Amino acid sequence: MRNRRDIVAAVPVTVPYARRSGHGAAWFLARALALLLEGSGLDKRAIDGLCAASFTLAPDTAVAFTQHVGLSPRLLEWLPVGGACGVVALRRAARAVAAGEAEVVACLAGDTANATSFRDLIAQFSRFSREAVHPYGAGGPNASFALITAAYMHATGATREDFGRLCVAQRANARANPLALLRDELTLDAYLAARPIAEPLHLYDCVMPCAGADGFLVMSRARAARLGLSGVRLLGAIERYNAFPDDPVPLTGGWAIDQAALWRQAGLGPEAIDVLQTYDDYPVMSLIQLEDLGICGKGEGPAFIRRHDLTLAGDRPHNTGGGQLSAGQAGAAGGFLGLVEAMRQLLGTAGARQVATARHALVSGFGMINYDRGLCSAACVLAAP
Amino acid sequence: MSGPEGMRDAAAAGRFALQRCTACGRAQYPPREVCAACLSDRLAWQVAEALPGVLLARTVLHHSHEERFRPRLPLGIGLVRLAAGPVVLCFAPVPRTIGDAVQVRAALDETGTPVLTAR
Ligand SMILES: [Zn+2]
Repeated sequence: MRNRRDIVAAVPVTVPYARRSGHGAAWFLARALALLLEGSGLDKRAIDGLCAASFTLAPDTAVAFTQHVGLSPRLLEWLPVGGACGVVALRRAARAVAAGEAEVVACLAGDTANATSFRDLIAQFSRFSREAVHPYGAGGPNASFALITAAYMHATGATREDFGRLCVAQRANARANPLALLRDELTLDAYLAARPIAEPLHLYDCVMPCAGADGFLVMSRARAARLGLSGVRLLGAIERYNAFPDDPVPLTGGWAIDQAALWRQAGLGPEAIDVLQTYDDYPVMSLIQLEDLGICGKGEGPAFIRRHDLTLAGDRPHNTGGGQLSAGQAGAAGGFLGLVEAMRQLLGTAGARQVATARHALVSGFGMINYDRGLCSAACVLAAP
Repeated sequence: MSGPEGMRDAAAAGRFALQRCTACGRAQYPPREVCAACLSDRLAWQVAEALPGVLLARTVLHHSHEERFRPRLPLGIGLVRLAAGPVVLCFAPVPRTIGDAVQVRAALDETGTPVLTAR
Protein backbone atom coordinates (compact mmCIF):
# COMPACT_ATOMS: atom_id res chain seq x y z
CA MET A 1 0.00 0.00 0.00
CA ARG A 2 1.50 3.29 -1.09
CA ASN A 3 1.01 6.47 0.90
CA ARG A 4 -1.69 8.65 -0.66
CA ARG A 5 0.80 11.51 -0.67
CA ASP A 6 2.94 9.62 -3.16
CA ILE A 7 0.09 9.75 -5.70
CA VAL A 8 -0.03 12.54 -8.25
CA ALA A 9 -2.44 13.86 -10.86
CA ALA A 10 -0.76 14.91 -14.09
CA VAL A 11 -1.43 16.00 -17.67
CA PRO A 12 -4.58 18.12 -17.39
CA VAL A 13 -6.22 18.17 -20.83
CA THR A 14 -9.23 19.88 -22.37
CA VAL A 15 -11.01 19.07 -25.61
CA PRO A 16 -12.07 22.61 -26.53
CA TYR A 17 -15.66 23.41 -25.63
CA ALA A 18 -18.18 24.23 -28.34
CA ARG A 19 -21.73 25.54 -28.11
CA ARG A 20 -22.99 22.69 -30.30
CA SER A 21 -21.39 19.60 -31.80
CA GLY A 22 -22.23 16.95 -34.35
CA HIS A 23 -19.96 14.50 -32.53
CA GLY A 24 -21.17 12.04 -29.91
CA ALA A 25 -20.02 11.93 -26.31
CA ALA A 26 -17.70 9.00 -27.11
CA TRP A 27 -15.78 11.26 -29.52
CA PHE A 28 -15.20 13.85 -26.79
CA LEU A 29 -14.10 11.24 -24.23
CA ALA A 30 -11.86 9.54 -26.80
CA ARG A 31 -10.26 12.86 -27.81
CA ALA A 32 -9.50 13.54 -24.15
CA LEU A 33 -7.94 10.08 -23.85
CA ALA A 34 -5.83 10.70 -26.96
CA LEU A 35 -4.62 14.01 -25.48
CA LEU A 36 -3.65 12.18 -22.27
CA LEU A 37 -1.56 9.71 -24.28
CA GLU A 38 0.03 12.50 -26.33
CA GLY A 39 0.77 14.52 -23.21
CA SER A 40 2.31 11.62 -21.30
CA GLY A 41 4.00 9.65 -24.06
CA LEU A 42 2.22 6.56 -22.74
CA ASP A 43 0.96 3.76 -24.93
CA LYS A 44 -2.77 3.06 -24.64
CA ARG A 45 -1.95 -0.38 -23.20
CA ALA A 46 -0.34 1.32 -20.19
CA ILE A 47 -3.72 2.68 -19.10
CA ASP A 48 -4.97 0.06 -16.65
CA GLY A 49 -7.57 2.16 -14.86
CA LEU A 50 -10.44 4.30 -16.12
CA CYS A 51 -12.70 6.70 -14.21
CA ALA A 52 -15.29 8.27 -16.49
CA ALA A 53 -18.36 10.46 -16.36
CA SER A 54 -20.81 11.57 -19.05
CA PHE A 55 -24.53 12.22 -19.38
CA THR A 56 -24.87 11.98 -23.15
CA LEU A 57 -22.88 8.75 -23.52
CA ALA A 58 -26.16 7.07 -22.57
CA PRO A 59 -27.29 4.36 -23.09
CA ASP A 60 -23.61 3.44 -22.88
CA THR A 61 -21.47 3.70 -19.77
CA ALA A 62 -17.74 3.46 -19.14
CA VAL A 63 -18.07 -0.28 -19.75
CA ALA A 64 -19.11 0.12 -23.38
CA PHE A 65 -16.58 2.93 -23.77
CA THR A 66 -13.72 0.49 -23.09
CA GLN A 67 -14.76 -1.46 -26.18
CA HIS A 68 -15.34 1.74 -28.16
CA VAL A 69 -11.71 2.82 -27.68
CA GLY A 70 -9.97 -0.52 -27.16
CA LEU A 71 -8.98 -0.19 -23.51
CA SER A 72 -8.67 -3.22 -21.21
CA PRO A 73 -8.47 -1.66 -17.73
CA ARG A 74 -8.43 -3.65 -14.49
CA LEU A 75 -10.02 -0.75 -12.60
CA LEU A 76 -13.23 0.86 -13.87
CA GLU A 77 -15.29 3.57 -12.18
CA TRP A 78 -18.42 4.99 -13.81
CA LEU A 79 -19.33 8.16 -11.97
CA PRO A 80 -22.94 9.31 -12.29
CA VAL A 81 -22.34 12.01 -9.69
CA GLY A 82 -22.66 15.05 -11.94
CA GLY A 83 -20.50 17.96 -10.89
CA ALA A 84 -18.79 15.98 -8.14
CA CYS A 85 -17.21 13.66 -10.74
CA GLY A 86 -13.79 15.33 -10.96
CA VAL A 87 -12.94 15.13 -7.29
CA VAL A 88 -14.54 11.70 -7.00
CA ALA A 89 -12.56 10.41 -10.00
CA LEU A 90 -9.32 11.69 -8.50
CA ARG A 91 -10.12 10.31 -5.04
CA ARG A 92 -10.98 6.83 -6.29
CA ALA A 93 -8.14 6.71 -8.81
CA ALA A 94 -5.64 7.72 -6.11
CA ARG A 95 -7.02 5.08 -3.78
CA ALA A 96 -6.71 2.42 -6.47
CA VAL A 97 -3.12 3.38 -7.28
CA ALA A 98 -2.24 3.48 -3.58
CA ALA A 99 -3.75 0.01 -3.15
CA GLY A 100 -1.84 -1.35 -6.13
CA GLU A 101 -5.07 -2.01 -8.04
CA ALA A 102 -3.97 0.11 -10.98
CA GLU A 103 -0.77 1.79 -12.16
CA VAL A 104 -2.04 4.53 -14.44
CA VAL A 105 -5.64 5.72 -14.28
CA ALA A 106 -7.18 7.87 -17.01
CA CYS A 107 -9.88 10.16 -15.63
CA LEU A 108 -12.25 11.50 -18.29
CA ALA A 109 -15.46 13.52 -18.35
CA GLY A 110 -17.22 14.86 -21.37
CA ASP A 111 -20.46 15.42 -23.18
CA THR A 112 -21.82 16.50 -26.47
CA ALA A 113 -24.49 19.15 -26.97
CA ASN A 114 -27.06 19.61 -29.70
CA ALA A 115 -30.50 21.10 -30.14
CA THR A 116 -32.25 18.36 -28.17
CA SER A 117 -29.58 16.89 -25.87
CA PHE A 118 -30.21 19.21 -22.92
CA ARG A 119 -33.98 18.80 -23.06
CA ASP A 120 -33.62 15.01 -23.37
CA LEU A 121 -31.28 14.99 -20.40
CA ILE A 122 -33.55 16.90 -18.06
CA ALA A 123 -36.62 14.95 -19.19
CA GLN A 124 -34.99 11.72 -17.97
CA PHE A 125 -33.05 13.13 -15.06
CA SER A 126 -34.63 11.37 -12.09
CA ARG A 127 -37.86 9.86 -10.86
CA PHE A 128 -38.46 12.62 -8.31
CA SER A 129 -37.81 15.31 -10.89
CA ARG A 130 -40.20 13.67 -13.35
CA GLU A 131 -42.99 13.33 -10.79
CA ALA A 132 -42.57 16.41 -8.62
CA VAL A 133 -40.77 19.07 -10.68
CA HIS A 134 -41.69 18.60 -14.35
CA PRO A 135 -45.45 18.96 -13.85
CA TYR A 136 -44.77 22.56 -12.77
CA GLY A 137 -42.85 23.55 -15.90
CA ALA A 138 -39.79 23.67 -13.68
CA GLY A 139 -37.72 20.88 -15.25
CA GLY A 140 -34.01 21.54 -15.43
CA PRO A 141 -31.94 23.14 -12.74
CA ASN A 142 -32.96 26.81 -13.08
CA ALA A 143 -36.13 26.67 -10.98
CA SER A 144 -34.62 24.58 -8.19
CA PHE A 145 -31.62 26.88 -7.88
CA ALA A 146 -33.84 29.95 -8.10
CA LEU A 147 -35.65 28.70 -5.00
CA ILE A 148 -32.37 27.95 -3.21
CA THR A 149 -31.05 31.39 -4.19
CA ALA A 150 -34.21 33.11 -2.93
CA ALA A 151 -34.01 31.27 0.39
CA TYR A 152 -30.28 32.05 0.69
CA MET A 153 -30.87 35.75 0.04
CA HIS A 154 -33.59 35.76 2.70
CA ALA A 155 -31.39 33.93 5.22
CA THR A 156 -28.14 35.85 4.71
CA GLY A 157 -29.09 39.24 3.26
CA ALA A 158 -27.21 38.45 0.04
CA THR A 159 -28.12 40.77 -2.83
CA ARG A 160 -28.01 40.41 -6.59
CA GLU A 161 -24.96 42.69 -6.50
CA ASP A 162 -23.13 40.09 -4.38
CA PHE A 163 -23.75 37.33 -6.92
CA GLY A 164 -22.92 39.84 -9.63
CA ARG A 165 -19.49 40.57 -8.15
CA LEU A 166 -18.67 36.86 -8.30
CA CYS A 167 -19.86 36.52 -11.92
CA VAL A 168 -18.05 39.69 -13.04
CA ALA A 169 -14.78 38.56 -11.40
CA GLN A 170 -15.02 35.18 -13.11
CA ARG A 171 -15.64 36.82 -16.47
CA ALA A 172 -12.55 38.95 -15.94
CA ASN A 173 -10.60 35.73 -15.29
CA ALA A 174 -12.08 34.09 -18.38
CA ARG A 175 -10.71 36.87 -20.56
CA ALA A 176 -7.26 35.35 -19.94
CA ASN A 177 -8.46 31.84 -20.79
CA PRO A 178 -8.55 31.01 -24.51
CA LEU A 179 -10.61 27.89 -23.70
CA ALA A 180 -13.51 29.88 -22.17
CA LEU A 181 -16.51 30.26 -24.48
CA LEU A 182 -17.69 33.55 -22.94
CA ARG A 183 -14.91 36.13 -22.97
CA ASP A 184 -16.72 39.41 -23.67
CA GLU A 185 -16.37 41.91 -20.86
CA LEU A 186 -19.19 41.69 -18.30
CA THR A 187 -19.91 44.72 -16.12
CA LEU A 188 -21.95 44.71 -12.93
CA ASP A 189 -24.48 47.00 -14.65
CA ALA A 190 -24.88 44.53 -17.52
CA TYR A 191 -25.22 41.67 -15.02
CA LEU A 192 -27.97 43.52 -13.14
CA ALA A 193 -29.78 44.54 -16.33
CA ALA A 194 -29.91 41.02 -17.80
CA ARG A 195 -33.26 39.42 -18.49
CA PRO A 196 -34.85 37.31 -15.77
CA ILE A 197 -34.80 33.51 -16.23
CA ALA A 198 -36.25 32.29 -12.92
CA GLU A 199 -36.28 35.13 -10.41
CA PRO A 200 -34.06 35.94 -8.63
CA LEU A 201 -31.85 34.28 -11.28
CA HIS A 202 -31.11 36.28 -14.39
CA LEU A 203 -29.20 35.42 -17.55
CA TYR A 204 -25.65 35.68 -16.18
CA ASP A 205 -26.45 33.50 -13.15
CA CYS A 206 -27.04 30.53 -15.44
CA VAL A 207 -24.35 28.44 -17.10
CA MET A 208 -24.41 27.87 -20.84
CA PRO A 209 -24.65 24.17 -21.72
CA CYS A 210 -22.05 23.16 -24.29
CA ALA A 211 -19.99 20.24 -25.61
CA GLY A 212 -16.47 19.39 -24.50
CA ALA A 213 -14.31 17.16 -22.36
CA ASP A 214 -11.57 17.32 -19.76
CA GLY A 215 -9.20 14.70 -18.40
CA PHE A 216 -6.11 13.94 -16.35
CA LEU A 217 -3.95 10.98 -15.35
CA VAL A 218 -3.39 9.58 -11.85
CA MET A 219 -0.28 7.55 -11.01
CA SER A 220 2.47 7.23 -8.45
CA ARG A 221 4.97 10.03 -8.18
CA ALA A 222 7.71 7.57 -9.11
CA ARG A 223 5.91 6.53 -12.28
CA ALA A 224 5.34 10.18 -13.22
CA ALA A 225 9.01 10.93 -12.65
CA ARG A 226 10.03 8.06 -14.94
CA LEU A 227 7.80 9.59 -17.63
CA GLY A 228 9.29 13.03 -17.05
CA LEU A 229 5.92 14.36 -15.89
CA SER A 230 5.28 16.65 -12.98
CA GLY A 231 2.05 16.09 -11.15
CA VAL A 232 0.11 17.76 -8.38
CA ARG A 233 -0.08 15.99 -5.04
CA LEU A 234 -3.41 15.03 -3.52
CA LEU A 235 -3.33 16.11 0.13
CA GLY A 236 -6.91 15.22 0.99
CA ALA A 237 -10.32 14.47 -0.49
CA ILE A 238 -13.89 14.01 0.71
CA GLU A 239 -17.20 12.97 -0.79
CA ARG A 240 -20.70 12.86 0.71
CA TYR A 241 -24.17 12.04 -0.59
CA ASN A 242 -27.62 13.27 0.48
CA ALA A 243 -26.26 15.36 3.33
CA PHE A 244 -28.69 17.05 5.71
CA PRO A 245 -31.82 15.45 4.20
CA ASP A 246 -34.06 17.05 6.82
CA ASP A 247 -33.05 20.65 6.04
CA PRO A 248 -36.17 22.17 4.44
CA VAL A 249 -34.07 24.21 1.99
CA PRO A 250 -30.53 22.97 1.23
CA LEU A 251 -28.47 25.96 2.33
CA THR A 252 -25.75 23.67 3.73
CA GLY A 253 -24.04 20.96 1.70
CA GLY A 254 -22.12 17.81 2.55
CA TRP A 255 -18.83 19.75 2.71
CA ALA A 256 -19.91 21.02 6.14
CA ILE A 257 -19.88 17.45 7.50
CA ASP A 258 -16.49 16.57 6.11
CA GLN A 259 -14.47 19.79 5.95
CA ALA A 260 -12.71 19.11 9.26
CA ALA A 261 -11.61 15.72 7.93
CA LEU A 262 -10.43 17.34 4.70
CA TRP A 263 -8.22 19.89 6.44
CA ARG A 264 -6.93 17.23 8.83
CA GLN A 265 -5.94 15.00 5.91
CA ALA A 266 -4.34 17.94 4.14
CA GLY A 267 -2.38 18.99 7.20
CA LEU A 268 -3.14 22.64 6.53
CA GLY A 269 -6.03 25.06 6.86
CA PRO A 270 -8.14 27.31 4.62
CA GLU A 271 -5.69 30.20 5.08
CA ALA A 272 -3.01 28.19 3.22
CA ILE A 273 -5.08 27.99 0.03
CA ASP A 274 -3.81 30.15 -2.82
CA VAL A 275 -6.34 29.22 -5.50
CA LEU A 276 -10.03 28.40 -4.98
CA GLN A 277 -12.07 26.42 -7.51
CA THR A 278 -15.73 25.97 -6.55
CA TYR A 279 -18.53 24.38 -8.55
CA ASP A 280 -20.38 27.37 -9.94
CA ASP A 281 -23.43 25.98 -11.67
CA TYR A 282 -25.10 28.96 -9.99
CA PRO A 283 -23.30 31.65 -7.98
CA VAL A 284 -25.20 30.81 -4.79
CA MET A 285 -23.58 27.37 -4.77
CA SER A 286 -20.09 28.90 -4.87
CA LEU A 287 -20.95 30.97 -1.81
CA ILE A 288 -22.32 27.92 0.02
CA GLN A 289 -19.16 25.93 -0.82
CA LEU A 290 -16.90 28.73 0.43
CA GLU A 291 -18.87 28.72 3.68
CA ASP A 292 -19.12 24.98 4.15
CA LEU A 293 -15.42 24.44 3.44
CA GLY A 294 -14.41 27.01 6.02
CA ILE A 295 -13.04 29.65 3.63
CA CYS A 296 -15.49 31.96 5.43
CA GLY A 297 -18.03 31.44 8.19
CA LYS A 298 -21.54 30.09 7.66
CA GLY A 299 -23.76 32.81 6.24
CA GLU A 300 -20.74 35.03 5.60
CA GLY A 301 -20.54 34.32 1.87
CA PRO A 302 -21.92 37.74 0.90
CA ALA A 303 -19.50 39.55 3.24
CA PHE A 304 -16.63 37.46 1.83
CA ILE A 305 -17.54 38.47 -1.72
CA ARG A 306 -17.70 42.15 -0.72
CA ARG A 307 -14.41 42.03 1.18
CA HIS A 308 -12.25 40.09 -1.27
CA ASP A 309 -11.13 40.43 -4.87
CA LEU A 310 -11.72 37.10 -6.61
CA THR A 311 -9.87 37.95 -9.81
CA LEU A 312 -6.47 36.63 -10.91
CA ALA A 313 -4.78 39.73 -9.50
CA GLY A 314 -6.88 39.71 -6.34
CA ASP A 315 -6.26 38.50 -2.81
CA ARG A 316 -8.52 35.43 -3.23
CA PRO A 317 -8.23 34.13 -6.81
CA HIS A 318 -11.37 32.06 -7.42
CA ASN A 319 -12.44 30.06 -10.50
CA THR A 320 -9.36 31.35 -12.24
CA GLY A 321 -10.30 30.04 -15.68
CA GLY A 322 -13.68 31.75 -15.53
CA GLY A 323 -15.55 28.81 -14.06
CA GLN A 324 -18.49 27.23 -15.79
CA LEU A 325 -20.30 30.57 -15.77
CA SER A 326 -17.81 31.84 -18.37
CA ALA A 327 -16.17 28.69 -19.77
CA GLY A 328 -19.49 26.91 -20.37
CA GLN A 329 -20.86 23.73 -18.83
CA ALA A 330 -19.85 20.76 -20.95
CA GLY A 331 -22.13 18.36 -19.09
CA ALA A 332 -20.14 16.10 -16.78
CA ALA A 333 -16.95 17.92 -17.74
CA GLY A 334 -18.25 20.75 -15.58
CA GLY A 335 -17.21 18.51 -12.70
CA PHE A 336 -13.63 18.39 -14.05
CA LEU A 337 -13.25 22.04 -14.99
CA GLY A 338 -12.14 23.33 -11.59
CA LEU A 339 -9.81 20.39 -11.11
CA VAL A 340 -7.91 20.72 -14.39
CA GLU A 341 -7.70 24.49 -13.85
CA ALA A 342 -6.28 23.96 -10.34
CA MET A 343 -3.77 21.48 -11.79
CA ARG A 344 -2.64 24.01 -14.43
CA GLN A 345 -2.23 26.70 -11.76
CA LEU A 346 -0.19 24.39 -9.50
CA LEU A 347 1.91 23.10 -12.41
CA GLY A 348 2.64 26.65 -13.54
CA THR A 349 1.10 26.07 -16.98
CA ALA A 350 -1.85 28.47 -16.71
CA GLY A 351 -0.31 30.94 -19.16
CA ALA A 352 -1.72 34.46 -19.05
CA ARG A 353 -3.86 33.61 -16.05
CA GLN A 354 -1.10 32.09 -13.92
CA VAL A 355 -1.40 33.00 -10.23
CA ALA A 356 2.24 33.48 -9.23
CA THR A 357 1.76 32.29 -5.66
CA ALA A 358 -0.19 29.11 -6.48
CA ARG A 359 1.10 26.39 -4.15
CA HIS A 360 -2.12 24.97 -2.70
CA ALA A 361 -5.55 24.73 -4.27
CA LEU A 362 -8.99 23.82 -2.98
CA VAL A 363 -11.37 22.25 -5.50
CA SER A 364 -14.99 21.44 -4.75
CA GLY A 365 -17.65 19.64 -6.73
CA PHE A 366 -21.41 19.42 -6.48
CA GLY A 367 -23.89 17.45 -8.48
CA MET A 368 -27.16 15.80 -9.39
CA ILE A 369 -30.10 17.92 -8.43
CA ASN A 370 -32.85 15.51 -7.52
CA TYR A 371 -36.22 17.09 -6.72
CA ASP A 372 -35.10 20.05 -4.59
CA ARG A 373 -31.36 19.69 -4.03
CA GLY A 374 -28.02 18.46 -5.33
CA LEU A 375 -27.16 15.16 -3.71
CA CYS A 376 -23.42 14.84 -4.32
CA SER A 377 -20.73 16.97 -2.73
CA ALA A 378 -16.98 16.51 -2.87
CA ALA A 379 -13.79 18.49 -2.34
CA CYS A 380 -10.04 18.05 -2.43
CA VAL A 381 -6.87 19.89 -1.51
CA LEU A 382 -3.99 19.80 -4.00
CA ALA A 383 -0.38 20.88 -3.71
CA ALA A 384 2.17 21.94 -6.31
CA PRO A 385 4.87 19.37 -7.15
CA MET B 1 -49.83 2.15 -4.28
CA SER B 2 -46.55 3.89 -3.71
CA GLY B 3 -46.16 5.96 -6.85
CA PRO B 4 -48.11 9.01 -7.96
CA GLU B 5 -51.26 6.91 -8.54
CA GLY B 6 -52.51 7.44 -4.99
CA MET B 7 -52.04 11.16 -5.37
CA ARG B 8 -53.78 11.08 -8.74
CA ASP B 9 -56.93 9.41 -7.49
CA ALA B 10 -57.29 11.92 -4.68
CA ALA B 11 -56.41 14.89 -6.88
CA ALA B 12 -59.13 13.83 -9.33
CA ALA B 13 -61.55 14.54 -6.45
CA GLY B 14 -59.77 17.79 -5.61
CA ARG B 15 -58.03 16.37 -2.57
CA PHE B 16 -54.37 16.23 -1.52
CA ALA B 17 -53.11 12.71 -0.67
CA LEU B 18 -49.90 12.84 1.34
CA GLN B 19 -47.95 9.63 1.83
CA ARG B 20 -47.53 8.60 5.46
CA CYS B 21 -45.72 5.62 7.00
CA THR B 22 -48.01 3.47 9.13
CA ALA B 23 -45.01 2.04 11.01
CA CYS B 24 -43.33 5.22 12.27
CA GLY B 25 -45.91 7.85 11.33
CA ARG B 26 -43.63 10.00 9.20
CA ALA B 27 -45.05 11.85 6.19
CA GLN B 28 -42.95 12.14 3.02
CA TYR B 29 -42.93 13.81 -0.39
CA PRO B 30 -42.34 13.05 -3.23
CA PRO B 31 -44.01 9.62 -2.79
CA ARG B 32 -41.59 6.71 -2.39
CA GLU B 33 -41.58 2.93 -2.37
CA VAL B 34 -40.57 2.80 1.28
CA CYS B 35 -40.40 5.13 4.26
CA ALA B 36 -37.14 7.11 4.09
CA ALA B 37 -36.97 7.11 7.89
CA CYS B 38 -37.65 3.49 8.90
CA LEU B 39 -37.67 1.68 5.51
CA SER B 40 -41.12 0.21 6.13
CA ASP B 41 -43.17 -0.40 2.99
CA ARG B 42 -46.44 -0.03 4.89
CA LEU B 43 -47.31 3.35 3.46
CA ALA B 44 -50.75 4.95 3.45
CA TRP B 45 -52.34 8.07 2.00
CA GLN B 46 -53.49 10.80 4.33
CA VAL B 47 -56.16 12.64 2.36
CA ALA B 48 -57.17 16.22 3.06
CA GLU B 49 -59.04 19.06 1.36
CA ALA B 50 -55.96 21.23 1.84
CA LEU B 51 -52.79 21.07 3.92
CA PRO B 52 -51.37 24.06 5.78
CA GLY B 53 -47.75 25.07 5.37
CA VAL B 54 -45.25 27.91 5.33
CA LEU B 55 -43.70 29.42 2.20
CA LEU B 56 -39.92 28.74 2.18
CA ALA B 57 -39.09 30.34 -1.18
CA ARG B 58 -40.75 31.53 -4.36
CA THR B 59 -39.53 32.05 -7.91
CA VAL B 60 -41.14 33.41 -11.03
CA LEU B 61 -40.23 31.40 -14.11
CA HIS B 62 -39.70 33.42 -17.29
CA HIS B 63 -38.47 30.40 -19.20
CA SER B 64 -39.50 26.75 -19.34
CA HIS B 65 -37.92 23.84 -21.18
CA GLU B 66 -41.43 22.42 -21.63
CA GLU B 67 -43.36 23.71 -24.61
CA ARG B 68 -46.79 23.52 -22.99
CA PHE B 69 -45.79 25.92 -20.20
CA ARG B 70 -44.57 28.70 -22.46
CA PRO B 71 -48.00 30.34 -22.88
CA ARG B 72 -48.33 30.42 -19.08
CA LEU B 73 -45.13 32.38 -18.42
CA PRO B 74 -44.31 34.17 -16.19
CA LEU B 75 -45.22 31.43 -13.77
CA GLY B 76 -44.97 31.52 -9.96
CA ILE B 77 -43.47 28.43 -8.31
CA GLY B 78 -42.99 27.95 -4.58
CA LEU B 79 -41.41 25.71 -2.03
CA VAL B 80 -43.71 25.08 0.94
CA ARG B 81 -42.96 23.28 4.16
CA LEU B 82 -46.13 21.47 5.17
CA ALA B 83 -47.08 21.47 8.84
CA ALA B 84 -47.10 17.68 8.37
CA GLY B 85 -43.33 17.82 7.74
CA PRO B 86 -42.38 17.41 4.06
CA VAL B 87 -41.43 20.17 1.66
CA VAL B 88 -43.44 20.40 -1.57
CA LEU B 89 -42.69 22.17 -4.82
CA CYS B 90 -45.94 23.71 -6.04
CA PHE B 91 -47.53 26.42 -8.12
CA ALA B 92 -47.51 29.66 -6.16
CA PRO B 93 -49.53 32.08 -8.28
CA VAL B 94 -49.90 34.75 -5.60
CA PRO B 95 -46.84 36.85 -4.73
CA ARG B 96 -46.10 36.24 -1.06
CA THR B 97 -43.28 36.74 1.39
CA ILE B 98 -41.06 33.97 2.72
CA GLY B 99 -42.52 32.79 6.02
CA ASP B 100 -46.16 33.41 5.04
CA ALA B 101 -48.76 30.79 5.97
CA VAL B 102 -50.34 29.11 2.93
CA GLN B 103 -52.78 26.32 2.12
CA VAL B 104 -51.74 23.67 -0.42
CA ARG B 105 -54.38 22.01 -2.58
CA ALA B 106 -54.17 19.30 -5.24
CA ALA B 107 -55.83 18.99 -8.64
CA LEU B 108 -55.26 17.20 -11.95
CA ASP B 109 -53.71 19.23 -14.74
CA GLU B 110 -54.71 18.98 -18.41
CA THR B 111 -52.51 15.89 -18.84
CA GLY B 112 -54.08 14.05 -15.88
CA THR B 113 -51.05 14.60 -13.66
CA PRO B 114 -51.62 15.60 -10.02
CA VAL B 115 -50.30 19.09 -9.27
CA LEU B 116 -50.18 21.13 -6.07
CA THR B 117 -51.00 24.81 -5.69
CA ALA B 118 -50.29 27.04 -2.70
CA ARG B 119 -52.41 30.10 -1.99
ZN1 LIG C 1 -41.48 4.90 8.68
